[in-house]
Amino acid sequence: MSTQSKKKPFIGTAGIILFLSIAILVVFVAFPVILILFNAFWAKGEFNLVDVVNVLREPDTYQALLNSVFIACGTTIGSTIVGTFFAWLVTRTDLPYKNFMKGLFLVPFMLPSFIGALAWKMLLSPRAGYINRFFMDYFGFEEPVFNIYSYYGIMAVEVMYLFPFVFIQVCGALERMDPTLEESARISGAGLFTITRRITIPLVLPSILSGSLLIMLYSMAHFGTVAVLGIENGIFNIPTLIYERIHQSAGSFAAIRTGTVLATVLVVSAAFIIWLQGKILSKGRYQIIAGKSFRPMELKLRGLRYPLLIFCLAYIGFTIVLPTAVIFMVGGLKTYGLPFTMENLSLDNYKFILFDYKTTKDAIWNSVSLGLSAAVITMFAGVMISYVIVKMKVRGKGVLEFLGMLPFSVPGSVIALGVILAWSGKFGINLYNSVWIILVAYIARYMAFSLKANSAALEQVHDSLIEAARACGATMWQSLRDIVLPLVKPGMFAAFFLIFLPSLRELTVSIMLYAPTTRTIGVAIYTLNEDGETVMSAALAGIALVIIITGQTVISRLTGASAKG
Amino acid sequence: MRSRFLSCLLAAGMLLGAAVSADAAEKLIVYTSMKESLIGKLRDGFVKKHPDIAMDYQSAGAGKLMAKIAAERESGKILADVVWTSEVPDFYNMKNEGILAEYVSPLLSEILNPFDDSVKGFFAPARLGTLGIAINTRFIKTPPTQWADLSNKEYRGAFGIANPSLSGTSYMSVALLVKQFGWEFIEKLRDNKAKIGKGSGQVIDDTASGDLVASLAVDYITNDKISKGATLSLVYPPEMLVVPSPVAIMKNSPNMSAAQKFVDFLLSREGQTVIASEGTLPVRGDVPVPDVFKLPKPADAMKRAIKIDYLQIIKEKENTVKKFSDILQGKS
Repeated sequence: MSTQSKKKPFIGTAGIILFLSIAILVVFVAFPVILILFNAFWAKGEFNLVDVVNVLREPDTYQALLNSVFIACGTTIGSTIVGTFFAWLVTRTDLPYKNFMKGLFLVPFMLPSFIGALAWKMLLSPRAGYINRFFMDYFGFEEPVFNIYSYYGIMAVEVMYLFPFVFIQVCGALERMDPTLEESARISGAGLFTITRRITIPLVLPSILSGSLLIMLYSMAHFGTVAVLGIENGIFNIPTLIYERIHQSAGSFAAIRTGTVLATVLVVSAAFIIWLQGKILSKGRYQIIAGKSFRPMELKLRGLRYPLLIFCLAYIGFTIVLPTAVIFMVGGLKTYGLPFTMENLSLDNYKFILFDYKTTKDAIWNSVSLGLSAAVITMFAGVMISYVIVKMKVRGKGVLEFLGMLPFSVPGSVIALGVILAWSGKFGINLYNSVWIILVAYIARYMAFSLKANSAALEQVHDSLIEAARACGATMWQSLRDIVLPLVKPGMFAAFFLIFLPSLRELTVSIMLYAPTTRTIGVAIYTLNEDGETVMSAALAGIALVIIITGQTVISRLTGASAKG
Repeated sequence: MRSRFLSCLLAAGMLLGAAVSADAAEKLIVYTSMKESLIGKLRDGFVKKHPDIAMDYQSAGAGKLMAKIAAERESGKILADVVWTSEVPDFYNMKNEGILAEYVSPLLSEILNPFDDSVKGFFAPARLGTLGIAINTRFIKTPPTQWADLSNKEYRGAFGIANPSLSGTSYMSVALLVKQFGWEFIEKLRDNKAKIGKGSGQVIDDTASGDLVASLAVDYITNDKISKGATLSLVYPPEMLVVPSPVAIMKNSPNMSAAQKFVDFLLSREGQTVIASEGTLPVRGDVPVPDVFKLPKPADAMKRAIKIDYLQIIKEKENTVKKFSDILQGKS
């Protein structure tokens, strides 16, 4: 064979891969976002900034913006305090059963926050909430103990289910931190307080901040909790206002415009937060990562050991076990409001939902098939795109790197609005009201997860391996198939599950896109609750929890095994 | 092994995706504001009679459904074949916009029809919804006897009305109550800290749970919860709220014959028997309502009902909704 015939396919394959990667990101992610920006800034045939300002100054939108920021700030502060405290407790003290407790603190991640909100509505709604009623009935309280339908209620619920973002980051930082730094401070005569203030906190601060910013980003763009606890009582944030406007004003121009302007605000603030996070992390990283050979100094809790353990367990019991139990119990009631007695409780609702109720059967089926399809497609697309970004040296890569950043900073409601603009017939393809529009949106939404997992895996594959294969005469395609793919498989698996599981509980995107036969599990739970079928929505939420927790367990076994093997 | 697993996953994903959009023989999609307990049973009865028709429905508040239809019109394809809600003005509007199909059901002559002849063939009532005051009997020991009782102390801060921009029955009721008693009635409710809830189902659920002690409630939704053991009772003051729920076929429906069969089924004795057995008024005199519901006879109810001036109600819809919300939210 001549050298020519070897060279041609190489350029061919590389070119095709690059082209495909750019095409995927442009079609699925960039195009919808560009349409949003275009619709926001382009009014009456010209670039129009005055109009944007006018939309933002409308009392409703202005209030929603303020609410989003206010709720996000409260949630961030709360989660940071809770997350940092528990992280410190399980890494730096002699708390009993530390590793077990560390696992427990990650459980809130599994509970979708809108299901949590649903449970807290049952527990703390002003007059009927079980906790409020308990105090009113038995202790003669005149007023409810706590009204969950309030800003503080929403913040509290978000903190309960978001604090693991900070927890994980800070745990990681505290574990990786070089303990000799603290050691030397102690030898030099510094007290515990001084060490904490001068050494420990400055070292973990970047991680704390980066976790907090993640929560900020998430909370600003968060739909579920505010939708369940706020809308009814006139508390809107940006995503819920976009949803209400699009749903109630019949896709009119004004509604779409308000939606796109609000979406633009979300995109800009998300981009800013991510930029800030990158800055903070790059500053802090080199100080933290150091030798792992030392055991960090542990604070002796002495007499507080068991009280603190009980406090941790009580916290988990109160925020996880209690809401989950309430969901399952209410799901068993004949109708909402009945006391929990044996004759009122049965499995009938669960049976009805799983076998007889078409809406919920459809919803479960839709969520599972959408999740599988999105996960598979995104996994393959993600490995290809990350390969170009991480490994290939071709012209035009810069464009791709920029495009690759995009999925990280586009919140769900923005994607949903974007795909409505892009795929409802104005550009030749009409996917509106079909499952495909949800699939397209899921691919855009979860691309970031896949890119992250796959590029992490690819960065560990050293270039020399590929070069060696190529030097031995393998084609580009052969080296990909025999060297790269087998090595990044764990990354691909991780990407698959990182997408499949969250998509089972997805609400923000599908609530904007569903049609009669294309409800997802999240949409079905939400609309049942909205229709006043509280017991049905609780029963479906219970079933969803079972599916999610089983999935999570099976998968952590599977990935654990595959990572070793 | 792994790559085989991966390709299996891929294949499975694709297959599942494709299967979701698999086609059935004859299809029918109904957009309705009737809740699962009612439309689900009607679907079962209809599909039993016409096994070749695959019927699906979207059950949501009338406001949401109309928004959805409007959005679908924008995108060029209306998914609904049949629309059945309680928001009468919407049907007049849709007829004027020319998006309703004309179909004179052979059963039309057999039913009680409160609509005038100008709309005959475009839409027909399939149910006479009644609204009363649902009370939670754990909190309210003496049932109210008239609408004015709602200003009493025991209802303070705990009487709810569904949001009229979301719920068709709620809008019709507000319009009728204002017509009968004037805006002072709504102002008195505000002084007693009445609440605007969400959908018509949710206010009743909130009443059953005790978050509200009473609400303006739709008959069959309340009766469904009572039959499941909720401590509710439905009370009708002398001036009754009777709201017909019209059904219509969309003009460009690709499933015209299935749609016509469904309308016929709704108006038939069979369909109306299902409707009556759920605790709401049928449009046929020859279908009895089970005694447990303590509902008046359809003809009596019409006599007691506050008269509806449809043209007036359509004209004033936007203002009525706005003024109502402004008053209850304390803005005016």
